[in-house]
Amino acid sequence: MVTLKINGKEITVAEGTLIVDAAKAAGYDIPTFCYHKDLLGVGSCRMCLVEIEGQKKMHPSCITPVMQDMSVLTETETVLSARASMLEFLLSNHALDCPVCDKGGECELQDMVLEHGPRKGVHAEPKLRFHDRDYALSDVIIKNSNRCVQCVRCVRVCEEIVGRGVLGSIGRGAHQEETSFLRTYLDCDSDGMCIAVCPVGCYMRRPFRYRARPWDLRGSKTVCPYCATGCRMTIQERDGEVVRSVANQEDGFNGIMLCARGRFGYDFINSAERLKRPLMKKDGTFEEVSWDRALSVVKEKFGSTEGSKIGAVASARLTNEEFYLFERLVRGVFKSANIDSTSRWDPAGAGAFISATGINGGGTPVTECLESDTVLIVGSQVSDENPVTDYFVRRTARDKAINLIIASPRAMKLDSSAALTLRHAPARNEPLLNALCFELYKAEGKKLSGVKGVEALKGLDAAKLASSAGLDEDEVKAAAEKLKGSGTVAIMAGTDFIRYNDGLDALALLVEVLKSLGKEVKVLPLLDRCNQRGAWDMGVHPGFGPGYTATEGGLGSYGMLDAAAEGRMDAMYVVGEDIVSLFPDEGFARQALEKVKFLVVQDIFLSETAKMADLVLPGASFAEKDGTFTNQEGRVQAISKLLPPPGSARTDLDVIGAIGASIDAGFAASDLASLTGEIRKEINMYSEVESVWGEGTFVKASGSGLTGSKKTAKAKKEKKDKDYPFELVTGNHLFHSGRFSRRADILKGLSKEATVEISSEDAEKLGVKEGDRVKVKGMHYEAELPVKTKRGTRSGVAFIAENYEQVPVNRFLRRGEPLQRVSITPL
Amino acid sequence: MAEILLQNVEKPDSHTLDTYLAGGGYKSLEKALTIKPETLIQNVKDSGLKGRGGAGFPAGLKWSFIPKDPGLQKYLCCNADEGEPGTYKDRGIIEKDPHLLIEGMIITSYAIGADKAYIYIRGEFEFGRRRLEEAIKEAYKKGYLGKNIMGKDFSLDIHVHAGAGAYICGEETALLESLEGYRGQPRKKPPFPALAGLYGKPTVINNVETLSCIPAIVAKGPEWFTGIGPEKSPGPKIFCVSGHVKNPGLYELPLGTTLREIIYTHCGGIRDDKKFKAVIPGGVSAPMLPEADLDTPMDFESLAAKGSMLGSGAVVVMDETACIVKAAYIIMRFFSHESCGKCTPCRCGTPWLTRILKRLEQGEGRDGDVKELERLCTNIFGRTFCPLGDGAVMSLRGALKHFRDEFVYHEQHKECMATS
Repeated sequence: MVTLKINGKEITVAEGTLIVDAAKAAGYDIPTFCYHKDLLGVGSCRMCLVEIEGQKKMHPSCITPVMQDMSVLTETETVLSARASMLEFLLSNHALDCPVCDKGGECELQDMVLEHGPRKGVHAEPKLRFHDRDYALSDVIIKNSNRCVQCVRCVRVCEEIVGRGVLGSIGRGAHQEETSFLRTYLDCDSDGMCIAVCPVGCYMRRPFRYRARPWDLRGSKTVCPYCATGCRMTIQERDGEVVRSVANQEDGFNGIMLCARGRFGYDFINSAERLKRPLMKKDGTFEEVSWDRALSVVKEKFGSTEGSKIGAVASARLTNEEFYLFERLVRGVFKSANIDSTSRWDPAGAGAFISATGINGGGTPVTECLESDTVLIVGSQVSDENPVTDYFVRRTARDKAINLIIASPRAMKLDSSAALTLRHAPARNEPLLNALCFELYKAEGKKLSGVKGVEALKGLDAAKLASSAGLDEDEVKAAAEKLKGSGTVAIMAGTDFIRYNDGLDALALLVEVLKSLGKEVKVLPLLDRCNQRGAWDMGVHPGFGPGYTATEGGLGSYGMLDAAAEGRMDAMYVVGEDIVSLFPDEGFARQALEKVKFLVVQDIFLSETAKMADLVLPGASFAEKDGTFTNQEGRVQAISKLLPPPGSARTDLDVIGAIGASIDAGFAASDLASLTGEIRKEINMYSEVESVWGEGTFVKASGSGLTGSKKTAKAKKEKKDKDYPFELVTGNHLFHSGRFSRRADILKGLSKEATVEISSEDAEKLGVKEGDRVKVKGMHYEAELPVKTKRGTRSGVAFIAENYEQVPVNRFLRRGEPLQRVSITPL
Repeated sequence: MAEILLQNVEKPDSHTLDTYLAGGGYKSLEKALTIKPETLIQNVKDSGLKGRGGAGFPAGLKWSFIPKDPGLQKYLCCNADEGEPGTYKDRGIIEKDPHLLIEGMIITSYAIGADKAYIYIRGEFEFGRRRLEEAIKEAYKKGYLGKNIMGKDFSLDIHVHAGAGAYICGEETALLESLEGYRGQPRKKPPFPALAGLYGKPTVINNVETLSCIPAIVAKGPEWFTGIGPEKSPGPKIFCVSGHVKNPGLYELPLGTTLREIIYTHCGGIRDDKKFKAVIPGGVSAPMLPEADLDTPMDFESLAAKGSMLGSGAVVVMDETACIVKAAYIIMRFFSHESCGKCTPCRCGTPWLTRILKRLEQGEGRDGDVKELERLCTNIFGRTFCPLGDGAVMSLRGALKHFRDEFVYHEQHKECMATS
């Protein structure tokens, strides 16, 4: 600790603290432009100059660390005059077009001039203009360089946090302009981080341009409804229309960080296609019906059906409170054990994943994970699936040496921060992780005698394991060396483990092996739906009840569809889940749902699944309800209602409650406050969840023994086939999350068409280049789509995102065969 | 005084190794390699050699900051980005006597423990760059560069890197940024290059002329060096005289030679025997001096006492026909053009000053312009990121200090006092 004086006031702060932060702690605000907490200091704007007693020159407080007994003066006449003069200089080349600038009212330059002067402008010389009209850098970013204050935060955030580096400073001196090369469209992540850091109206949101003044907006704090990184944000509306979502530095663990989905994916809320009234199918067409009628039909059908013939699936995007009530409805009122939270994978795999990643063992903050010596990311295309998690990792890798190992068949943006990348074959996590276990076992087998499952390693052969994973033995050894040499290890495990039902036992074994070697191991699941973890915590899974308690086993989504296909599913209640679009075999899903006697779908859009329903109930989006989400870290955060649901649509909590009450008059009232209390009381993990604002609260260990993974049916792997040289993998596109984000027009505009992504080498071999159209032919389906090439992706791997309705990737798949081979031929 | 730095430049084929060897070249290297590096550093410290690039920092002291850890990679960078208007001394050495510089660099690298050295040469010096490349090739051939130089356990590679035309890259940290392939803008200090310089490794950055002094210091000893010129600023110095003198050119003279002696004795006086008006003693960043200061000895301390500086030793002479406002405008235009854009006061302040000076010069002055110039100078000086902005202000302040009446005349009469 260091003790110093700021304006005579003594303060003690940690060593290395910057003067600007120390001053803030002492109660003195120092204005800054170039300084940003998340970025490396540059000390260029000179706004933060302060005097240090005994030194001739003023010092930039944003890059000067405190020293023992230093005496800093931040309010002297010299300092104040320097501040005013910097602002005067900035204004001398600023457009001063506040009346037509979007930033007006929340502009840092405006605020600072108001506070620090100069009161009167004296600059009467011609100004330099970069351009006459605003120009677009992308569909979401529009730029006016005449307003720039050259803090260069935009270039730095793009490089240091986003990792794209598509912005740069062009020109020199007063002519310096931060923009794309030749001011052309950026090939970027469109996350608008440049807009978020811009202190003035230089970078603007294109969809928001000229829409509103900040004081005309009404906002509510919420959590991003897409991936499970769970970024805190505020959505803002004007005249009943959501026009912006923003993240604030001071609120939430993600600070200003949001990805394209979070920052620009809000407009599905305003969609004209939102369901507004209940729809009942009559002779193949939907008719609007009243809620009374709809509920009485539900009561009639579900009330009279035997529990075992009822199935219920809820999307992993509902709130914890809704899941909790849903679970009570299904198990308590429907008397059914058939409950699940997604249709994308086998629930048995999900159970094994929960166990292997210790989801039932309490929360793990991502920042804590990143304090580890080695971080292994496996089973996730994290740069696309969880963009802000990717930002956290990159930021940490910038500041300190972490051994980042990325194991993924596909290249990703984060590779550039990695110490080692393993391009193993798709769905071969098992041999990969076993090979790592084997190397550790070979070195220190004696310490591992107590580890369950370790005997199985004995007979293995390193070369065979590596080749089965599609890697060189040396690559595996190099990764194992890094693990061996680390005292603390973090494993970030993604949904590929469940999607391909692959390597879950090996993951659990690796964790145990590392722990037995005396290493501190943290495991962070990387999930792609905002409240997947909450769904599991609330017991929306056929294998366990709320808080991972034991329960009578039932059917998961896979089992329900099997049963339905055999005509054993009389009624199904599907909330928010688009089974037809996402179950890894579209044909089978359709066939099965066709045979469900009474299918109720509750959604905010008429999804492919809803189109098959007998009754469609209009639900509410995240903007229209209160409640909490539990993100992948186990962080519980609140969302809050901004708008009423459209038409007569009701919140899912309301609907679930109403269905329950219609069948069982004793089904308790479902107001949010009492549910919150109940969850804290009933579910041990949530017993200490108090503050759900700000950075939220982490769940604690459940104490329930969800031990060992259940043996799950291994997904069949297709033999290598000359006619089908590529293995087809799928996942989320950077701009999309399931099918739901496809209703967000802004996001849709960013990626208009599905593509098939292959390695640059493969593209060269095929004689195609980026954008060329090819035919992708599988055993069961074929599609024509443009090629996207990626340098560094493993040869023989093809990727099509699961989000596009034009190319439903699940048509390539067959039930139980999530990994298919395809051929690619140029058109 | 016998010339040290320019001794070879008049010789035919002065740039070749043969000519250099014939003049006793690389003898100092041979001697240096028998001396312990620490002793060499001490010798250079004792010689009192001050950096010839402009700042005048003691060279030996700079070297001594380099960590002694032998396992650590260290670099030597030669600053050959000679961009200060009026300065062309380094160019003379590079084009006419490149081996002098190379020998100096080899000895310096040996002293600081660097096995890689870079010459960051001004982009416009294409001819000089080729000369250097050729000379380096010759030195490799003779075994003065490469592995085990002169059979000793010392190896060195020298690379030449051409700049891309930015004045700021003569500032040592901007030079490093540029050399690493980044945008040429100064880095924050600390850390100083001696601890974290090129690629984050300990680095010495010396000017061409500084490094060219080293062979002579090694050959003749520090006492000989301190015997030249004044006690606090010893040694020979190349003065680049330009402007309104009869014989402009490079003059190697002891530090401490007076401006009057340089102009009237060595350069033959003012062109067309006109009246002397002002002199910029050390490149355009140095404030100009009037006739009253002509007897100032040209050394670091004496010029500082007169409110100016030795800088690069570029002496720009102006006679009575020169318009000081125009000179100030041209100089400010240069700084504004070369401002790197990193910090606010320099980026926005120098163009502002330029705009006012342009108006004044063109007869479009307004009441209060001169006061405004002075106010803006106050707002820039001492607040910039690097010395570029300070240099711009110092030059203008110099002009205003000694020739304020000319500025006021321009402001009030919309025309020039000197030329009308």
